Amino acid sequence: MIENIKNAIIRFKRSPAFTGFALFGFALILNIIIRGPAVFFSAQSMGTLFSKNAPIILVTMAQAVLLITGTLDISIGIQLALVNVVVIMLPQELGVSIPVAWLIGILVSLAISAVGGFLVAVLRIPSLLATFALTFVVMGINVLIMNVPQGSVPKAYYSTYDSLLFGFLPVAALMILGVALIWAVVKRTKFGKHIYAVGADPKKAFAAGINPTGTIMKAFLFKGFITGIAGIALTLMIASGNPLQVESYGLKSLAACIIGGLGFGGWGSMASGVYGVGFLVLIQNAVYYFFNFLQGTIVGFQITSYWQNFISDLIIMLGLLMTTVTARGQREALKQGISRQIKRGDKHAKES
Amino acid sequence: MQKSLKKDHVTVIKIQSFIKTNPAGMTFVIAILLLVLTFILRPNSLNTNTFSSIILLTMLLSFAAAGQTLVLIGGGLDFTVGAVMSSAAVMTTFMMQGQDGKLLPVLGVVLLIGLVVGVINGISTVKIGLPAMIVTMAISNLVARAQYLFAADGKSLGYAGPSFIRSVSYKFGGIVPSIIFYAILIWGIMFYLLKRSVFGKQLYLVGDNKEAAKLSGIKVNKIIILSYIFSGLLSAFAGMLGAAYMTVVSAQVFDRYAFQSLIAVIVGGTALSGGVGTYTGSIAGAFLMVVLSNGLTALALPDPIKNISYGVIMILLLFAYNRTSAVRE
Amino acid sequence: MISIKGVNKSFGTVVALKDARLEVKEGEIMALLGSNGSGKSTMIKILSGLYNPNSGSVEIDGKKVKIKSCVDAHNEGIATAFQDLSLVPTMTVIDNLVLGIEPLGKFGLLNRVKAVRMAKDILDRLGVVCDMDAYVQTLPMSTQSMIEVAKAILLKPKVLLLDEVTASLHHDEIQLLFNLVRELKAQGIAILFVTHRMGEVFELSDRVTIMRSGITVIDEDTSKLSMDDIVYYMTGKRPDAGKAEINLEMKEERELILDVKNLKQSKVRDISLQAYKGEIIGIAGLQGQGQPTFIRTVLGLMKPEDGSIIYKGKQTHYKSPENGIKNGMGFISGDRNKESIFQHRSIEENIYAGKAATQNIFKYVTVKEMKQFSLDAINAYKIVAGNVKDPATSLSGGNQQKLVVSRWIALAPDLLLLDDPTKGVDVHSRREIQQILRASALKGMTVIISSSENEELIEISDRIYVFYEGEISGVLKKEDMSMEKLVAAQMGMTSEGNGV
Repeated sequence: MIENIKNAIIRFKRSPAFTGFALFGFALILNIIIRGPAVFFSAQSMGTLFSKNAPIILVTMAQAVLLITGTLDISIGIQLALVNVVVIMLPQELGVSIPVAWLIGILVSLAISAVGGFLVAVLRIPSLLATFALTFVVMGINVLIMNVPQGSVPKAYYSTYDSLLFGFLPVAALMILGVALIWAVVKRTKFGKHIYAVGADPKKAFAAGINPTGTIMKAFLFKGFITGIAGIALTLMIASGNPLQVESYGLKSLAACIIGGLGFGGWGSMASGVYGVGFLVLIQNAVYYFFNFLQGTIVGFQITSYWQNFISDLIIMLGLLMTTVTARGQREALKQGISRQIKRGDKHAKES
Repeated sequence: MQKSLKKDHVTVIKIQSFIKTNPAGMTFVIAILLLVLTFILRPNSLNTNTFSSIILLTMLLSFAAAGQTLVLIGGGLDFTVGAVMSSAAVMTTFMMQGQDGKLLPVLGVVLLIGLVVGVINGISTVKIGLPAMIVTMAISNLVARAQYLFAADGKSLGYAGPSFIRSVSYKFGGIVPSIIFYAILIWGIMFYLLKRSVFGKQLYLVGDNKEAAKLSGIKVNKIIILSYIFSGLLSAFAGMLGAAYMTVVSAQVFDRYAFQSLIAVIVGGTALSGGVGTYTGSIAGAFLMVVLSNGLTALALPDPIKNISYGVIMILLLFAYNRTSAVRE
Repeated sequence: MISIKGVNKSFGTVVALKDARLEVKEGEIMALLGSNGSGKSTMIKILSGLYNPNSGSVEIDGKKVKIKSCVDAHNEGIATAFQDLSLVPTMTVIDNLVLGIEPLGKFGLLNRVKAVRMAKDILDRLGVVCDMDAYVQTLPMSTQSMIEVAKAILLKPKVLLLDEVTASLHHDEIQLLFNLVRELKAQGIAILFVTHRMGEVFELSDRVTIMRSGITVIDEDTSKLSMDDIVYYMTGKRPDAGKAEINLEMKEERELILDVKNLKQSKVRDISLQAYKGEIIGIAGLQGQGQPTFIRTVLGLMKPEDGSIIYKGKQTHYKSPENGIKNGMGFISGDRNKESIFQHRSIEENIYAGKAATQNIFKYVTVKEMKQFSLDAINAYKIVAGNVKDPATSLSGGNQQKLVVSRWIALAPDLLLLDDPTKGVDVHSRREIQQILRASALKGMTVIISSSENEELIEISDRIYVFYEGEISGVLKKEDMSMEKLVAAQMGMTSEGNGV
């Protein structure tokens, strides 16, 4: 019995999501300690946590899919802003109804993702550079659509977003769950398997009769769909429009995925990204509340936001360092197939 | 008719092979063309000020690109170029306080910053199994924050020393800025490092095939760490010179040089994957970036149009220069 | 039946195929032979859709077809088992087997039950025993090769291309594979297989096509050809009967260069080996018995878990290959592309690589120095090269390997370690490399060479250590080397005559 538990733990340790999970767990515990379980798990605190962070979480999930295929998209942040301005300006300037505006917002996100996918999959420009260049283009487009921050969202919409279903389930969390479920299904389709094959080795995938170009393109479109939803969440969160916001979400989502263990293509899962972004978000929260607490209890203690950011960046850097420890364990497992063998109870003694 | 067709065909092949074998030259040609185009569209931008500022900015960017070239050839990527430059610039103005005679101590401190960051970069990239981009990005964040210790509220606390400023921006004949002497120095260092030293030879081998390099007896980690150290030192030096150019320096002033240097190096013919590249190419790439930026500003386009044009042109350049290989040959 | 005519293919300035042709009929087993640089691998890659020919036409059952991708090839009924495996290492066996032909169930989701059935069926026919959910990367090479073949057969092809699939297989596995191939032949499938092993050609094939320098030289019934004929068509020369003289003189006092005692490191369980100055020590054994691990541990790439290595009289505590190399070792790998050749660098730089590795990193090297060094090597070892500034990949495989050999010999190491250096190298280059090694040994260099070619080892070694399951199962001295003894030791059968 103990053997089984031990094996299960070892197996989990070697799975791709463990890296991020460990860090996420650490950050979670930190939050619980600093704020107290009652406060932290209260409906209000959970609600805020999800509604404020749904955009970055969703965007990280989208980024995770790209990373599995071996590509990435730095412009994903500014694309959020694109959806935001479209969704605000359409009702405002053209009287389009809000649900239709949302639909068009998602279509726009798909369109710009198609462009990104075209650059990366068809023109074969390295994704880091191509999407960096794309950032400029999207920035320009955003300002052309909306030149200064403006706009509003009807209260009915954004208060629903902020609210809690049945008193405890944040609407924002449902959005995240929805996307996660969609991914769970996609993973079990041909397309899902092809994403992993292409990410691991495009040449071998091609030899197996898969079209890497098509697969990467579809992955970008899938990312565009999730980004569209994230853009709507962002709009509801800030209840207004801003053409040049959240550009940093591009690099942030990338860092979150890497922290979660998605360093190389063809390996890992969306869960890794979720753990990674959970870690980032919770650490920043923890630092913020910790300094609040200090400022509250120690008279005359002042700390600028620069220092808060410095400390959270430092912890994040340490988190990156941690991933090497856990990631190395994963890669070894991959090489030695221990996880499989332990699961089957085989006595194939460790060959290496 | 047949004969002239053949001649055209031969010319096309000649141009194509020129592009393939001489990316630096090609970049240079494109830059000149863009410059000429700018003058045609905006004749009043054709003056000595424009020329000298183009040369100055090209030099500055190429100093930043120097370190980046080394790191990229070795197969890595240095995101801290911008943050180090900014820190060096901030430190320079902080220490000089507008006075002369502090050149050597400032140089010492600035190079120390570059060295320390370079060492951290190198060791982290080598020991942590993560992509260099992410590791150096994280370090860049930290360095960017640390600057604020020396620049209260983001503004620097002084200026660079006057004679130092003059050594950078004095213009010979009203056009050629004296920064060109520094450029020659850096060019000499890069020439030695990349083309004549054993380090350079090992660096290319490491970037081309790390495993084979290791099995040939090369200390792969040492070479990679050294490339980051050189990059740190060069970026710091570039930042110091940048402080002289800008006169008023604020924190994170040169941060965008991280991506700028990367694009300049790639457009100059160095591959993201490593193992190929030249400094001459990076200089040409820097020239192209500066000309492009200058051109868009001279045309006085509204910001969003400028951004879109910049992005689109960058995409075109990247398409021409740096594509991954096709799955089917 | 498949026929390909008038095929031309160049990679930049290198001409790989020139008006080449190939034809395999239904129910026929055709062997495709040729040295490196002959174009046979290019031919296979064109047929399988991986390469795009500059010109040429492919006909299947008399109908012209266009193959623009691997998908096209599959649709036309062509399946390939590749030499360098088309399996995705980080995916499971079953995912790999059905990759591209995934059976679908409800709502377009994968039907795992059906996939398992498909996989089990073919794996059983090939006698492969493995966990279907194991990651391919974790399985031994021979199993991976069999899975690669299984994957091709699952496509139910009309034409089956087997590209050097037997390289990693055990004798029994090869027999199982051949039996299956004969079954497929009886079903009317056209089979084309590429191999370097003469024995297989005569055992399995009905006809033989031989290529040389990008041209199809001949295709003929196997029964009408002799071994010498085949070598003649492959190389353009009659195989030389003159084998180089064997140096039987054993000096009395010889320096013990390498003394390995009870080495333990992953696959190596307990190996003891001695090498004296000027000796050529052969390491024989089936694939995966620990030979590459042994060599790399001596070099310093891996640290021994137990045991000791005494090199030139001193215990070694190497942390990386650079330690071994600094102390006079050299290493030549059989996997050129991964471990020896710098593909984007010029021939000149590739030759100079070894020297570059051993000098002080701040030393100044002139253009002339490097050029002279590489020209000397090219002349000394008769490397066929154009301009030294061309990329190393412009050389043929055999010449690339000669380049690597020259890179090391030029540094005059005391101990040269070779891990299957002539794998996939043509007969001619192979002989030249052997001559170079012999000449160097006469000058005092000690050579340890691991090889999968027993004939080669018998021809060149002073002594042969046979590896079996991580231990030495036999040591053969020059006087009592024979193929039977070697094979017996490889199978683990030790007998009195083999002193260990």
